[in-house]
Amino acid sequence: MTSKFRVSGLTKSYGSNIVVDQLDLEIEEGEFLVLLGPSGCGKTTTLRCLAGLETPQDGTITFKDRMVFDGQSHLNVPAHKRNIGMVFQSYALWPHMTVRKNIGYPLKVRNMKQDIDSGAIEAAAEMVDCGKLLDRYPSQLSGGQQQRVAVARGLVSRPDLVLFDEPLSNLDARLRDQVRSQIHQLHQKLGFTAVFVTHDQSEAFALGDRLAIMKSGKIEQYDAPEHVFENPVSEYVAAFIGMGNRLELRNGHDGWMTSASDPIDLKRAAVRGLADEGATAVARFRPDDLTLHRSMNEVPAGNVSLHAELVTYEYGGRHFDVTVKTGTEELTLRANAYEHSAALRASKPGEPMVVSFSPSALRVFAANTGDAAAARQLTAVPAEAAA
Amino acid sequence: MAILSTERPSTASTTPAHRHKGIPVHWRARIWYGALLVVLAYLVLLPMVRLQLLAFENDAQGYRTQYGRYDIAQTIGTTVAFALGSLVIAMVLGTLLAFAASRLPAKAGFLRVIPILPIVMPSVANIVGWAFLLSPGPGYLNVLLRMLPWWNGSDTGPIDVYTLPWIIILTGFGLTSFVYLFVNSGMESISSEHLEAAQVSGSSSLGVFFRVLLPLLRPSLIYGGGIAFLLGLGQFTGPLLLGQNSGVKVLTTEMYRRVSESPSDFAAAAAAGSPLVIFGIALVLIQKAMLGDQTRFVTHGGKAFAPPTGKGTWATITISLFALVSLVIPMVGLIIVSLTPYWSGSLSWSLLTLDNFRVLFATDAIVESVVTSVLTSLGAVAICVPIGYLMANLLVRGRRFRILAMIADLITALPLSVPAVIFGVGFLLTYTEPPFILYGTRTVIVLVYIVLMLPFATRMQMTSMLALGNTYTEASATSGASPFVTNIRIMLPLMRPTILSAVALMFILLTHEFAASLLVRSSTTQVMGTLLYDMWQNGTYPLVAAMALLMTAVTTAGVGVAMLIGGRNVLSKL
Repeated sequence: MTSKFRVSGLTKSYGSNIVVDQLDLEIEEGEFLVLLGPSGCGKTTTLRCLAGLETPQDGTITFKDRMVFDGQSHLNVPAHKRNIGMVFQSYALWPHMTVRKNIGYPLKVRNMKQDIDSGAIEAAAEMVDCGKLLDRYPSQLSGGQQQRVAVARGLVSRPDLVLFDEPLSNLDARLRDQVRSQIHQLHQKLGFTAVFVTHDQSEAFALGDRLAIMKSGKIEQYDAPEHVFENPVSEYVAAFIGMGNRLELRNGHDGWMTSASDPIDLKRAAVRGLADEGATAVARFRPDDLTLHRSMNEVPAGNVSLHAELVTYEYGGRHFDVTVKTGTEELTLRANAYEHSAALRASKPGEPMVVSFSPSALRVFAANTGDAAAARQLTAVPAEAAA
Repeated sequence: MAILSTERPSTASTTPAHRHKGIPVHWRARIWYGALLVVLAYLVLLPMVRLQLLAFENDAQGYRTQYGRYDIAQTIGTTVAFALGSLVIAMVLGTLLAFAASRLPAKAGFLRVIPILPIVMPSVANIVGWAFLLSPGPGYLNVLLRMLPWWNGSDTGPIDVYTLPWIIILTGFGLTSFVYLFVNSGMESISSEHLEAAQVSGSSSLGVFFRVLLPLLRPSLIYGGGIAFLLGLGQFTGPLLLGQNSGVKVLTTEMYRRVSESPSDFAAAAAAGSPLVIFGIALVLIQKAMLGDQTRFVTHGGKAFAPPTGKGTWATITISLFALVSLVIPMVGLIIVSLTPYWSGSLSWSLLTLDNFRVLFATDAIVESVVTSVLTSLGAVAICVPIGYLMANLLVRGRRFRILAMIADLITALPLSVPAVIFGVGFLLTYTEPPFILYGTRTVIVLVYIVLMLPFATRMQMTSMLALGNTYTEASATSGASPFVTNIRIMLPLMRPTILSAVALMFILLTHEFAASLLVRSSTTQVMGTLLYDMWQNGTYPLVAAMALLMTAVTTAGVGVAMLIGGRNVLSKL
């Protein structure tokens, strides 16, 4: 009756090093879940536990109605009996088999002879635009082709769950976008259930129906991509999804201030629970939300302007990536090249700059005490609502 | 939903995957591996344990007999001098050859195989070949040397191959190939950029060699040196064939003497072997400790070892000289003697004859020894390769079975560190008594061969598995293939080149095997090497030479077949 994939209380450690810590997860059938996090956060280990390639110490894993792992009763269904497909970072195509044999392997070892006879191998190869490569060996293919064949191999037997272990990391940038888009199209067309591990936020946003952002073996946030993007639950998540600018804030007796003592009018984005004078907080926002102005007059009403000085700038075509310093903190912003080129080229490091941002772009968190729980976001009050 | 709770799902609703077969999967694997290890322990450890038990019987009578001898100090001294001397020769030559091989000009690249070719020539053949040339009386080279003015007029000399220094030199040459194998593979993993960086920083070629290359080669040198030293200590063929009549005694020949004289004294033989066993085990442990963190020596990234610049003439000459001395010259000695009716210092074309070979093929015992050698070698290889595969599997993927893996590591390393003679004596003792009386059968030869080859079968396949990594098997498992199917359809085809190399190497080593065979053979069940020894003892030298050539031919044919199946690279994989 339930068609969910569930992980509960999953724990995996190597010696004293706990890699996956009491992890809970639910995946709907047909859903594309992305496990996102930096290296060492336990995302690949979680995936390998799902695959049956690692044996966790504790917890349960259920595929639809079928328990495949139970730490209590030592039930551990081996990988080959879990009816999964997997795509590896290193492609893992067997070099002694042709593309046809590689793709046909899951059908063959699962005794799905009718599918082979009815052209499932050819169809799968066609699906990933490799129909003409069937009789080649993997060594005769490019990296992108190899990974597309690996995707076909992972999908060909229509497994219950398809696992992707950073499949795009070994590809160069252009191919990565191509294969990514192909995986997305295939998912829309076939509706398989997938778990996809990556450390790349743009991959995660592009592919995921839901994202699970992992930290130290736990899931920090589990939400739709839009929610994660707009409302990161912690400073950790905010930093990981591109809110690279960080401001430390202090609640002085005139209100909130930056470390450079610029007042920040947080009446419009109130900080709940930190009303006491002397309280500290951390604000995060994206580089595109910080604007460079030629003069103070240009700062829009309602924006917070900061005293800043130029550190460096890099030309990026239509824009400059500008690094400025306010107080002790460095911030980056994107400045329109046509508008600012002349002024920037004429500036030297240390020259004062006018930058501003809208308070609504800020996400404010309790100052990081090193304790993950204390860094929860304190405000989700939109600027308009507070006004 | 009940499944999420810790409550066990009721048996009625369980799908087949829930079925518990009483024993969990990894315990079943553990039991199978455990059973295999028990069998291997019986084969490898029991003979040694029995030897020790015997040596300690009657208040350690064996030890008292052996170590109470008036000349025991000299025997031990000779053994050590012998091992050290041949080690030094092998290390210097092996390193030099490996360096030379890396500097060969591209068109002389084929010469790289030469330093390992002496492995193809049986050591008994090599040694009798040299004896024919350097024997003080009728040795052909001595005869030539005596034509020089300052040695003119003498009937013997100037070289006496039956003395310790010459036995050491010849053994050193034989061990060179082993050192070369290790150092050569070590050099291949050094990036040329490390050497170029030293050169650019102002080091001369010599400076690069001594300050950068040698230190980076330390792991290979320690490992190769350790193996060569153990082989030197356990060396049997040279001292027995050349030193027996001139009173050169080492521990291994003492063991043989104790067992072969009548009444045979197994206890004393066991006691004689003990220092070698203890030293072998100690050396393996020290080596593991000394190599320690091997990542320090990994210089991956960057180009492969220095592409040869310059002409490398000296390299070509060095390797060619080695080929001449280690292969061509002893072979010439064998060919000459095999074509003459009797061995004397003189040589006349009119006397040359193929009679010796005719006798060889007409003698049933000889033909039978060839058959026995080939059959027992093939049998042992056929059994050893799958065992080695399983052991390598256990060692590589044995994280879950840590204790079993440790035992497997020990059992599969032991036969390399303990001289073959000791296994020979141990097997002779163990299998002439119940429960398995196998003396005089081909089975006992196969068993001792399996033990001797266990390290090679395991290590070579293990290296290959490590190089292949986990992903290929994991991709197969997640595709739905059982471990058995994965091994058959993925691992075996991918490891084919390595397995064929292992087969070739083991076939070579086994058709040459002499030390252990000499002890477990009976007068009716002989292998080529032991029969050759009997002929040598009987003084039918031309037949000995023909037999030595036949042995070399059989091995070469085996290597040829391996190359046909596995491609030309079979030997370079060693």
